[in-house]
Amino acid sequence: MNRRLTQHLNVLDYALSSLWRRRAKNLSVLVVFSWVIFLVASFQLVTQALTETAASVLRSTPEITVQKMSAGRQVEIPLDVSTRLAGIYGIQEIVPRVWGYYFDEVSGANYTVMGIAPGRMPLLDRLQLTLEEGGVYDQESHGKAVIGRSIRRTLEEKGSTLLSLFRPDLSQASFEVTGVFKPEVDILTNDLVVMNIEDARDLFAIPPAMATDLCVYVANPAEVPTIAKKIAEALPGTRVLTRSQINRTYQVVFGWRSGFASVCLLTALTAFVILAWDKASGLSPEEKREISILKILGWETADVLAVRFWEGILVSGIAFVLGCTLAYAHVVFFNASLFKPVLIGWSVIYPEFRLVPSFRLAQFLLVFSLSVLPYLAATVIPAWRSASVPADSALSGM
Amino acid sequence: MLLNSWSIALLLCGLIVLFLMGLAARSAIRVLLFWNPESDSNRQIRLENEIWLTSTLVEYALGIQIISLIVFVLAADFYSQSIAGAMCATGSLLANSFGVPALLVKIGGVFFYGFWIVLHHLDIHSEKYPLVRVKYIYLLFLIPLLVLDLALEILFITGLKPDIITSCCAVVFGDATGGGSNLLGGFTHGLSMGLFYGTAGALILLGVVLLERWQRWLGVLFSSGWLWFFLLALTVVTTEFSSYIYAMPFHKCPFCILQPEYHYIGFVIYFALFLGAFFGMSGAVVEPLRFVEGLEEGVTGYQRSAVKLSLLFLVFFVLVSSYHYWRYILIGGEG
Repeated sequence: MNRRLTQHLNVLDYALSSLWRRRAKNLSVLVVFSWVIFLVASFQLVTQALTETAASVLRSTPEITVQKMSAGRQVEIPLDVSTRLAGIYGIQEIVPRVWGYYFDEVSGANYTVMGIAPGRMPLLDRLQLTLEEGGVYDQESHGKAVIGRSIRRTLEEKGSTLLSLFRPDLSQASFEVTGVFKPEVDILTNDLVVMNIEDARDLFAIPPAMATDLCVYVANPAEVPTIAKKIAEALPGTRVLTRSQINRTYQVVFGWRSGFASVCLLTALTAFVILAWDKASGLSPEEKREISILKILGWETADVLAVRFWEGILVSGIAFVLGCTLAYAHVVFFNASLFKPVLIGWSVIYPEFRLVPSFRLAQFLLVFSLSVLPYLAATVIPAWRSASVPADSALSGM
Repeated sequence: MLLNSWSIALLLCGLIVLFLMGLAARSAIRVLLFWNPESDSNRQIRLENEIWLTSTLVEYALGIQIISLIVFVLAADFYSQSIAGAMCATGSLLANSFGVPALLVKIGGVFFYGFWIVLHHLDIHSEKYPLVRVKYIYLLFLIPLLVLDLALEILFITGLKPDIITSCCAVVFGDATGGGSNLLGGFTHGLSMGLFYGTAGALILLGVVLLERWQRWLGVLFSSGWLWFFLLALTVVTTEFSSYIYAMPFHKCPFCILQPEYHYIGFVIYFALFLGAFFGMSGAVVEPLRFVEGLEEGVTGYQRSAVKLSLLFLVFFVLVSSYHYWRYILIGGEG
């Protein structure tokens, strides 16, 4: 056993020196290979980070959201429908919500305005935790709002302390800012204005007995599908969304997009495999002479194959580490600026948020099997061709 | 579900293996048609060279197949996120009727390629290459298995629909009273534990006797014992040990132990079990080759090291897989 280990170490040593002797050729393969791995790994890391962000964002959403549909579009839902849901056992709380988008002509940005009655939210204490400064406004008070960081920036630029918005009839509504959200929740709150539900109705001119949708909180998560089904039966003409449905949709969409990207990257991979095959097949007269001299010295085909195998492993190992490190840097330090638009969709007003890649063995195995395995497969035949150079070919040129 | 990175990686692995094995099969046909050890023609020399090519190709294919087996299980786990009702790989494998067959064919494939490599090493051990024909006929038989593997994989992946309701592992491997089917439904806890440790002990005893003096019938018994132990161990890990690893009495799943939450312990467990079972079973597989001229020494040598390695992996497997169970018992839990 020990002897075989020493033999392999020697072969590895020889492979390293042989790689170094042909460094120009190997470096070009290494650079291209690292680039391909970088592309594949970046996509995987971004997909993983986005999927996890979506899942963590959804963790605090209500279990069920009820929206009223009319002619295939969402319309306001009357508040009295919640009395029809009162009989469904297992519902903890039904909270009406008014929300919509507000286009601020001065800054050219879209805000998301959300009106909630804070006293009725089961997770109210959590809302306080997400604030960087200030506090949540009192439930009864009007004309107060909690805003996201980018909105505060616009206010600071204007030099104003009050948030002034316009109603549809162009009359002005002003809000005192009581709190600002933390940067950690930017993905959700960057463009968000949270205010009293009545203020929001007033701002959007929504009639008093209406809401945009109803959030249904359920005490036992195992009952969510049953309760969702009962709500759908009790309220025909509504769309009942459960949290797991939304989560699954995100998974499928991100999975599909990253798959589509992988297909596109397959062309790059194919080009690289052809390059690797070509580089490995082109045996120079020196290489031929080297192998036949080795054979004269007593090396067998298996030994030369072992050298070629180790060369392949070394090149792909270095390229793999290099590519993955670059991909990590790209996601963490450059916020995946090359690929994020492909995965999250294109929008000028998309909130800025930082991606946090998570290291999972599965991700690396996936990148490995998408990049290194094709390379190894492409170099088998050239490796064998070079290993089967007959011993006497060194003499023929002399 | 064909268009996502995991499916693409699986198909890519499958196609690469098929490509490599296809090339190997081409050489195999040439060798079977024209092999003539008496001749020293150019063609014979070329064929002798091609033997190296085929063995390298099969070795690469085996390596990729092992990786693809792991990717398959991890991919099934990934699919479970988008299939209603599935919470881990079990759910997605049961989502259609091709999941479990695909997994079984993949596991079988790993063993069959491994046996080919053992044959090859015994063959090149002898100067006359006595097993060339057997080896290449065997190789040609591997191709349909490979095609079946790829076909089942494609059927499984394309058959996955995100809206199909499937079962989660707590239902599938749960107690018989839970309404789901249980693999070891008829066995009590004591009986399955007794069988597990009893068989492991018997195998160690047999192995030690075999290392002292090789006897054919004992060797066959050892290998069939390993086959039984392999199947038994897979079920015992699933129905008994896994819930101690998860520290949840109703969570019995063979795949979740591969997750980072459990420190990837599943990889160590299955790695030891598969390698142990492979070496344990290959001892009897090579026994008939003892009578081939020039191979007796090689076969004896291989069997000795195979028995040694299988015992080593057996002990390691038993220790690692039952660690959580014994820790629980020792700190005062009830079995």
